[in-house]
Formats: sequence, C-alpha cells, structure tokens
Amino acid sequence: MSDLRDHESELAGALRRLEPHTSFADVLTESAEGEGCRLDSKSVSPAREPTLRGAVLRAWGGGRWVEAATSGLDAASLRAAADSVLAGLTKAGSGAPLAGEPSTVRKDWTESPAHPLRDVPLEELIALEKDVLSRATAVDGIKECQVSILWADDERFYLNTAGARCYQVTSRVRATTVPIAIENGRVEFDYLSEGGVGGRERLAFLSSDRIEGVARDSAKLLHAGAPPTGEMSVLLDPGTTGTFAHESFGHGTEADQFVRNRSYLLPILGTMVGPETLTIADEGPYPGAWGMVQCDDEGNPGRRTVLVERGRFLGGLHDRETAAALHASVTGNARRADFLSRLFVRMTNTYVEPGDWSLEELVREVKQGVLMEHSTSGIEDPQGGQMQLKVKKGRKIENGRLTDTVTSMALSGKVLDFLKGIRGLSRRSDFEMTPGYCGKGHTDLLPVASGGTYLLSTAIVGPA
Amino acid sequence: MSAPSVTADTAFRVAERVRAEAPWDVFAERSRRYEVHLQGRTVEMVRGPIELEGYALRVFRSRDGQTGTGSQSSTDLTDAGIATSLRQAETLSRFSRFPTKKVDLPRPGASLSPVEVRDPRLWDRPNEEILDYVHALLTAFEGRKGVGPSFGSVRATLSEATVANSEGLRASYAHTTVDFEVAVKSEGGPEGAPPGEYWVNDVTRRLEPRELPRRVEEWCQFAHDVRRAAPTPTGELPVVLPPDVMGQILPAVLGFRCTGEAQLRRIAPDLGTRWAPESVTIHDDGRVPWGTASSPVDDEGTPQRRRDLIVAGEVRSYLYDALHAGAFETESTGSALRGMVFGIYRDWRRFLHPPSSTSSTLEVAPGSGGSDAEIIEATGDGLWVQQLGWAVPDPISGAFGGELRIGYRIRNGKRAEPVRGGTVGGVVAAPPGTPSMLSSIAAIGSNPVLTEWVLAPTVLVRPLTVAGA
Repeated sequence: MSDLRDHESELAGALRRLEPHTSFADVLTESAEGEGCRLDSKSVSPAREPTLRGAVLRAWGGGRWVEAATSGLDAASLRAAADSVLAGLTKAGSGAPLAGEPSTVRKDWTESPAHPLRDVPLEELIALEKDVLSRATAVDGIKECQVSILWADDERFYLNTAGARCYQVTSRVRATTVPIAIENGRVEFDYLSEGGVGGRERLAFLSSDRIEGVARDSAKLLHAGAPPTGEMSVLLDPGTTGTFAHESFGHGTEADQFVRNRSYLLPILGTMVGPETLTIADEGPYPGAWGMVQCDDEGNPGRRTVLVERGRFLGGLHDRETAAALHASVTGNARRADFLSRLFVRMTNTYVEPGDWSLEELVREVKQGVLMEHSTSGIEDPQGGQMQLKVKKGRKIENGRLTDTVTSMALSGKVLDFLKGIRGLSRRSDFEMTPGYCGKGHTDLLPVASGGTYLLSTAIVGPA
Repeated sequence: MSAPSVTADTAFRVAERVRAEAPWDVFAERSRRYEVHLQGRTVEMVRGPIELEGYALRVFRSRDGQTGTGSQSSTDLTDAGIATSLRQAETLSRFSRFPTKKVDLPRPGASLSPVEVRDPRLWDRPNEEILDYVHALLTAFEGRKGVGPSFGSVRATLSEATVANSEGLRASYAHTTVDFEVAVKSEGGPEGAPPGEYWVNDVTRRLEPRELPRRVEEWCQFAHDVRRAAPTPTGELPVVLPPDVMGQILPAVLGFRCTGEAQLRRIAPDLGTRWAPESVTIHDDGRVPWGTASSPVDDEGTPQRRRDLIVAGEVRSYLYDALHAGAFETESTGSALRGMVFGIYRDWRRFLHPPSSTSSTLEVAPGSGGSDAEIIEATGDGLWVQQLGWAVPDPISGAFGGELRIGYRIRNGKRAEPVRGGTVGGVVAAPPGTPSMLSSIAAIGSNPVLTEWVLAPTVLVRPLTVAGA
C-alpha cells in the first residue's frame, strides 16, 4: 500500500496557498483499496475494490465552509482544488471567526493486523467460500447460498493550518453467508454476518456449526407464520439492541442535530430518560470493532463518550463547531464517508452496556410477546422521537416460553416510551458488536458497529 | 451517439490503451459535483467542484466452458495505471466463473435518439443555479409562521458517461442528477404540541424552482399535521399508496425478482405467473424523460428501451445485462446499471460498482380509478399513506414494511384526520393464492406521476396489514 505521507509537501503547499485568505483550513487525503469475492452455486465473482485516492480541502469563509475535492494528489491537482476554494472564499466574504479550538494533535496510528487478509491468496478465500457453500446447501430445503468475504484498507492523512498532523490506517474484514430456502414459489433466507478491524482471525466464526445452523434457520422460515401485530412485549436480540442504541441515542445525540434545533432530545439533556440499568456509549477506538476510528477527520482522537449513564441523558457526539456551540468537548466523531463527501457528526461503535439478567429470566417475564432476531435495518426520527427497527425473523413468546418461529417484522414507537418500558438487559456473556453501514439521511454511508445484549421492553410490532 | 455538450472521452482514451484480446469493455465517467448545505435558513457550506474521473475496465475470458469476468475500477488514467488495471482485471478473471459460454457486447451502429436527462441551465451554471434554487426555496418559506427548514441540502452531479468496448462501440452522453433534502419543522403555536417534521428526500434530473411554492405549501401542511396526528389504527385495512410510496416499495423487489440474476438463482417467478389482477400492467422503461435511471444506453452501451414486466397481471419477461443474457442464450435488454444501493438509491460514483441487471423506471399503467379524490372515494374507509420511515423491501422474500411517518384516515370516502406511528407492510409479490400487495390491488388511478424510480398513479390496495399504536 502506498503511503499518503509521501504527499505531505504538496498537501502542505495547498494549505499554505489558502492560509493568507482564511482563519482556518484543513486537508484530508484518503486512499482506499480492498478485495473480495462473492460466490454462490452458479458463479464466482471476485472483485478488487477500486484504488480510490484523493484529497478534500476545506477553508472557513467567515460564516460558511468552502470545500473542493480532487482525485489527483499531484501538485497541479491540489493547486487547482485550492484555487476553487479560494474562489469560494472570495464569494463568501469576511465574517465571524470559526468557533472552537482546532486540533493540534500530531500522531500516527499504524498498527496492522498480525495476519492481514490482503496476504491471503484469493484462491484460498474462494476455497473457504466453497466449503461454506457446500455445508449450507447440504441442509434440507436450501437451494442456494450466497457467500462473501472481503477486506478493505482505508488510509487517511490529515493536516490543518493549526499544525495538526494525523495518520491512520484501518484494515477491515467482513464475511457474510446467506442460505436461501425455496419451496413452492416461496423464498426465505436467514443470514450470518460478522466483521471488524483485523485480519484472518476475523473469519474464525465461519464454523460448521454456525453455517449449518443458519441454513437450518433459513429453511425453518419457509414454514414460519406472520408475526403478531400490535403493542406487546419485545425482547431484542443483541444485534437488534445495538441497532436500537444506534437509532435512538446515536442519531439523536449527533450534536449537529442539536445545533439545527432538530433533536427532541435537546430539551431533556441531563434528565432521567430510562431505568438505572441503561447505559449507552459510543466508542471510536473500541478494539476490533467495524466502526473503529482512532482519529476523526478533524484530527481529534476517538474516545468513549457516554451518552446515557444509568438512565440519565448526559450529552451528545461532537465535532469542533458543535462542541463550541454547546460548550462541550470534541468527542472524535467528525467523519467523512470518504474524501468526496462532506464532514458530519457521526457515530462510530455505539452500544448498550450489559445488564444482569439471563436470557431465560427475560423470557419468563413475558406473558405475550415476541423475540426479535437478526436486525436488518433501522431508521431514526431525530425531531419526532420515533424509531423503526426491522428484523429478519423472531419467535413468539407465550406465557414465559419461546414458541413458534415468525417471519420478518418491524418495531416502531416513541424512543422515550420504549426506554421507560425497559425491564431488563442480559449479561455480558451475551454481548455482541455487529458491523453495519450508517447513512446521514439516505446518503454518506460509512462503517459503524452497534452492540448490546438481550433487552426487554414494550413496543408496536408490525409486518416488514 | 454524442450530445453536443459531451467533451469527455475517458472510456475512449482507456480503450485506445487496452492491449488485450476481446471481449472487454470500459465504462467511465467524468463528474463534477456541487453542493449547498443549509442550516435553518442560512447557507452553512458550499462545496464544489468535487471532481472525479474514473473508469471500470472489464474483461471476459473463456474458462472451463464458462466465462471468467475480471473488472477493475480506477481513477488512474496514466498509461501505467491503465496497464495495472488491465493486469488486475485479467488476474481476477482467472478466479471468476459465470455460467455462460459467450458474452455478446453491444456493437456500434444502433440508431440512438437522445433522452432528456441533462438540465442545460444546471450544466452551464451549476453554482449559480443551485444558489438560485436555494433562494427560491427559502423565499417559499418566507412569511410562514411557526414553520421552516431546520436543515437541507442540494447536491448536483454533472456527469459525462462514456462506454467503449472491443466491438468498436463508442457511446457517450451527459446527464445531471440532483439530490435534494430538506427537513420542514413546525413548532410553536397556541396548542403547545411538540414540534413536527416532514422530511423530504428527492432525486431528480433537474432543478425546478417554479414547483417550489406549491411543494413547500404541501410540506408545511404535512409538518403541521404531524403535530396533530392521531395514533394509527390497527387491522387489515384498505390502504392507498401514492406514487412516492410506490417508488419506495416496487423497484427493489420487481427490479430483482424479474431479472436474469434472479432467474439464475431460481428465485424468479416463472413467466406467465399471475402476480396481480388483470388490471395491473407494469413496464420498465429506461427512456422516460427525466427518469433518474434513464439514459440513451445502459452502462454496457446497449440501447435503453421499454420492457414488458407484468402485463395484465402476468409476469411477462425478465431484465438482462450481457452476462445474464448469455447464460440464457438471449439478448441483453439494456438493463445493466451500475451503482444501485438497496434498490432505491444510486451512488453518483457509478464506475466504482459492477453492473447488475435491474429496472430503470417502473411504469405502472394508469387505470380507471380517476383522480386521488376518486380513489379515496372508492376506498370508503381506510388509510392514506403519505410517508413511510423506510419501507426497506427485501428483494429476495419480497417483504416490506415501514413506520408511518404521516398518513390520513379515510372515512366515508373522504380524507379525514392525520395519523402517525405504527407500521404498514406486507409482501410485494407472492405465488398465486397467497395474498400480496400486487395481488390485492383494487383500483389504479388515472394520473401517473414520475418519482425517483417509478412513473405511477395512486393505487388502492385492499387490504394491507396495519399495526397501529
């Protein structure tokens, strides 16, 4: 992999060109590459991620930001991008200085995995995928299976006019298995997917037991009924609990929503919003997590930020500007999806801390309800305070017992009502951190993780 | 075929440097992106140009009676960069297997007529046009008490697409895409209700500032109605889906299940399968003026066209790209599109993604249901879905469902009070005898409207499952 630090003199030159005309400017340069293969019974589709390299220059125009980006890292391309920013600065005119303190951090984060997947020959990955495929399709009812394994390396180098200089490389690995069951025109599937920062060790979860297990679960869905509908007790599996954390107190606490006066949470800052058993945090440097951020795209190191502590809503996630506007500290959550995308306040790895119940105890609490398993998506409603979580499958809970398997369903309702309804969380041994992608609105997808243990509350359940 | 405004020759330049045996193809785009972001009524950020020029080089090689496909995307247009991309594509093709013996790439000579996909004013004056649009947007909010934008953005991409292949094809066209987002917030007032928001997300081909006063009026009303909405009822209810909502639900499922890709995986319906009543006909048309997936040629260079998908309720044909067409010894339908994400969103950096066979604009044929008011009258008692949080249809199982962000009860054939919360969902399509959204279509309106991925009238589905508060 090339090293973006080789371009430091050209990048610094572009910043020097802007410096006389602005109170603050920065440049983020990125190089991303990766490789993977998707395989099913009909085809083998290896793919190399594009080698995407470029830089984005940003300068404060006294009231607004002005940005330009280029996919060239040579001096001429960077100079042209700087000139575009200069033209924008001229139109923006002069105004207030930029609030908040710039990063002055100078540090490199270059720890690489012990066994990088980039060193594993493609034929070896394909052989592993074929083995997964054969195990899954050996299960009765499974007619097809999609298997994918990929790695992606993301290298980022940040400089600003205050002297910050941060460099980091993040190596991500992810694998997914989707056994597909077909019968009389009905098509169903379950999935197994894990991923994180690291190397080959990340693939250890692809064991025979888990592959055959998910294949059997896919086949079971062929005969599963529709989920119950209406308001009821809901027991979220660890992955769905993580999605709940992400959609409720993740998006809702991205402090740009506070500054926009677009968060229903701002007026209740500092108050109790849930039971004392509830603690929610976001943690960029969470070891091995898919959404790992050692240093954000404003040069501030990632850290653990407690959003809700023992039921009390403590605060939000910040970039430089929101921290200044709300008299808070930066939290290392200023992220760009890539060098082509603007910076927003974003989550990293967001999770609910475990409780002290066992799963069996939580199930016994429920007279009529549903266990919601395998989160597939979620969406927030920062202003209205509602949320939508969708899962691939579940089990009915009747009189304290898990009974019939049911197909995909959606949970909806008001976040604060859901929090008040929390009756318990299971123990750390159930904790899972699940990889995913998060958008700001429908765009700017970037890797995040969300985690938790089993969580019992009350919500509206419907079809999905 | 070349529009006068196209000056990019990216794919052609790459093609000249490809020293490889046929077949191969190159898809390239040179794009400029301009953005304005709002915080409240203030411009928070101006971005652009965000410049990106890149290509995807694909080779097809005969392997063990099948085809090995290797593809490499890159922004490196130097001789060395192109040579590296070719070498990597050849390497990948050695590991790839696809069950077709022959890949027929489009040949030059097809008679192509232009498709309206480029906003000329935006093309010539991007910064000024976007700022004018933002000004028109903010003007439309002026004088309104207790309602306004909390944030928004206009992101315009101006692209020149070029396609070249080993058959000698050289095709190009210019297109514009606008991603528009605004959150309209209603607050204050004597009633003391919590603030309400209506969140607008649109993808279009052009800026239409003259539409803004009417649209802003509607958005403000929806934002106000969120504040006074009652809980959604529960039950199996007649549900009316306007074109925007149909656009969230149909493409992800039909654009996958009715393709060669699904056919290969044995999850496509058999041709002739009855998925809907006779009143339902759905075409896929890649040449709808201003359609977000419209273009003169698809991303392999095959001319886009109109395709029958469901005719009189029966599945009539599948959509193919070159690879899947080869697998079934048929012809590409011009349905190879790059950059589709979740079936409802298209990445503007198309060359980074491999092509897949999918739908362009799904045209639901107008019915005899008349206007929206007449559809509502025919409904009697039911639910009008104005906006779902995210329908997230599952392309494989066909299941969909989303939280009702704002809707209206229909009582005695009239639109009544706003409702909010709970979920609306079901299965888009199912085998005969199993209830589905398509099989339960009871009335189709007469006035189709173009939204992001569909050209559809309002539709009455009787019933869908509604899980209310």
